[in-house]
Amino acid sequence: MAELNKTIHEPVRLRIMAALVTLAPADEVEFTYLRDLLEVTDGNLGAHLRKLEEAGYIAVNKIFVERKPRTYVSATAEGRKIFHEHVAALESILKSK
Amino acid sequence: MNISPREAEEALATIQGMMQKTRRAISSSGAYIFLIIWGAIWLLGFLNSQFLPNQIAGNIWIGLDILGGILSVVFGVRMNRGVRSSSPVTSGKRIALFWLLLFLYCTASIGVAWPANGKQIAMFIVLFVMVGWNAMGLLLSFYAVWGGLALTALTLISYFLLPGVFYLLMAILGGGGMIVLGLYIRIRW
Repeated sequence: MAELNKTIHEPVRLRIMAALVTLAPADEVEFTYLRDLLEVTDGNLGAHLRKLEEAGYIAVNKIFVERKPRTYVSATAEGRKIFHEHVAALESILKSK
Repeated sequence: MNISPREAEEALATIQGMMQKTRRAISSSGAYIFLIIWGAIWLLGFLNSQFLPNQIAGNIWIGLDILGGILSVVFGVRMNRGVRSSSPVTSGKRIALFWLLLFLYCTASIGVAWPANGKQIAMFIVLFVMVGWNAMGLLLSFYAVWGGLALTALTLISYFLLPGVFYLLMAILGGGGMIVLGLYIRIRW
């Protein structure tokens, strides 16, 4: 049976993962784009991304585009799996109501 | 970790909302620009066709189409910078190839039907563009299909039932409709 994941369940991290798993597996989203999408501050997003990166659920890719640093974020295969398990666990809680 | 059914329901609603927002942000992040550009071109082009002699209107149409093509490429390159794919850009190339083939088939069809009048040429172009629009809608954002079908129906009704004001209707309802839809997507999504 699927289990809830404490790391992912935090509201901002839940929204981050929901946004990232919506992208195609090979796609990654820029930090500022994600920040605007989630309507959070740079610091808040950065802190939550670190947690998710430490857990291995997301990958952070820092590159230079036209000499400017850009940070891209994507969900890892493990992150996608855990997220889907978390959703399944939420759904099973609802079904057992 | 234990949570109540109410918390689970709220979490699922949050997830669903975020996924929908992301899908819309990605699929509509540039679509409105193209709708406004081509809406403005239709508006100006068909107004010219309604009120100016065929030769002058035809030349203006060519100029407008070139302008629309250049603007589409410029905005197309700039759009979706927030999301990038590390996979080969196969789908992007196939979409570009699809539009190129559609353009060639449209040109060939007009050539076969020649000599055609201005309204027939306009119909050919509009119908082929609508085929492309609906194909893109089916692939990328299903909601766009309804707009494509509505515009196609409008075009056919105007052509067969209201030939005297065909260009005017295409300008106001077709071009104007695309501009309004573009602005709606920009504001609401």
